Amino acid sequence: MNKIFLAGVSAAFLAVSASGVFAQTKLSRNEIINSLQGAQQEVDVSADELQKAAFENIQKYPGANSPGNLPLWDKLASLRQFNVEITFDLNSARIRPESYETVGLIADALHTPYLQGQTFFIVGHTDATGTREYNLELSIKRAKSVREALVTTFQVPGEYLKAVGLGEEQLRDPSKPDSGINRRVQLINVGYR
Amino acid sequence: MRRFIFAFTTGVLLVTAPAAFAQTVGFAEAIKILSASCGQDIEKYCKSATLANNGIGKCLQENQAKVSQKCNADRAVVASLIQERLAAQAAAPKICDRDAAQYCKGVKQGAGHILRCLLKAQPSVSAKCNTAIDLAGYR
Repeated sequence: MNKIFLAGVSAAFLAVSASGVFAQTKLSRNEIINSLQGAQQEVDVSADELQKAAFENIQKYPGANSPGNLPLWDKLASLRQFNVEITFDLNSARIRPESYETVGLIADALHTPYLQGQTFFIVGHTDATGTREYNLELSIKRAKSVREALVTTFQVPGEYLKAVGLGEEQLRDPSKPDSGINRRVQLINVGYR
Repeated sequence: MRRFIFAFTTGVLLVTAPAAFAQTVGFAEAIKILSASCGQDIEKYCKSATLANNGIGKCLQENQAKVSQKCNADRAVVASLIQERLAAQAAAPKICDRDAAQYCKGVKQGAGHILRCLLKAQPSVSAKCNTAIDLAGYR
């Protein structure tokens, strides 16, 4: 209980400090486009395979923490991608209203010719607080929720968007597993498929 | 055309509406406008609604009778401005066909290459095509 409460507090703190950063360098559509455009190589990783790899990782290496990179990750690491902070209600896949504009910016970027016709993975990540299984399920729900928001409210064609949740299996900063820096939604351009 | 003018004038009436000659809006801008106009109503009537499944839009629609007039009015305007933009995006390639052939010979199709070329060639590009690019929100 104590732990959950703490997580709530640190999440609130993170949101405050992040908005402070945003005030200086506000996220823009073109920033998203610049990070995502220019898909070069073909990648032979499907969203399903990536999702499966996360579940297998937990089975193969049980324990409190993931041993490191997912096997498939190397293939994706060099692709055009963008990390964005989207806040959700605690333990829920409901996107918080303060992140609506961010999701709108992603939609605007995806509606330009620079990115149209290319396929994107929407990858949800959590920090390492809580169990790996729980985090994996939550991140899947959150990634799906972002995808659905883009496809319904923001009218992005659904065939180009694949939701994947990786829980805490692929931390951004493995030296600080519980840090908020690990909580992110990652967009990866997997090219024309 | 008539519908277009209507959308434009009501767009100007929005205090929070973007730059003077933007006749369409993108989704991020729409959110900005609607969070100002509908934020309180969403807080009141749609607290558990989500963006997924169009939840917020549906909820505001269902509660139309209770929702503030400003929210209802702006929602309608913003919806039409967004549709105008999506329509403009769909129409732009054809409208800019000739300009592309003239100023972007040999430029690869796809991935926005032609658009990038047309943006660079703006001073020479036809007014029609430049307007189409503006309306599509591509600048």
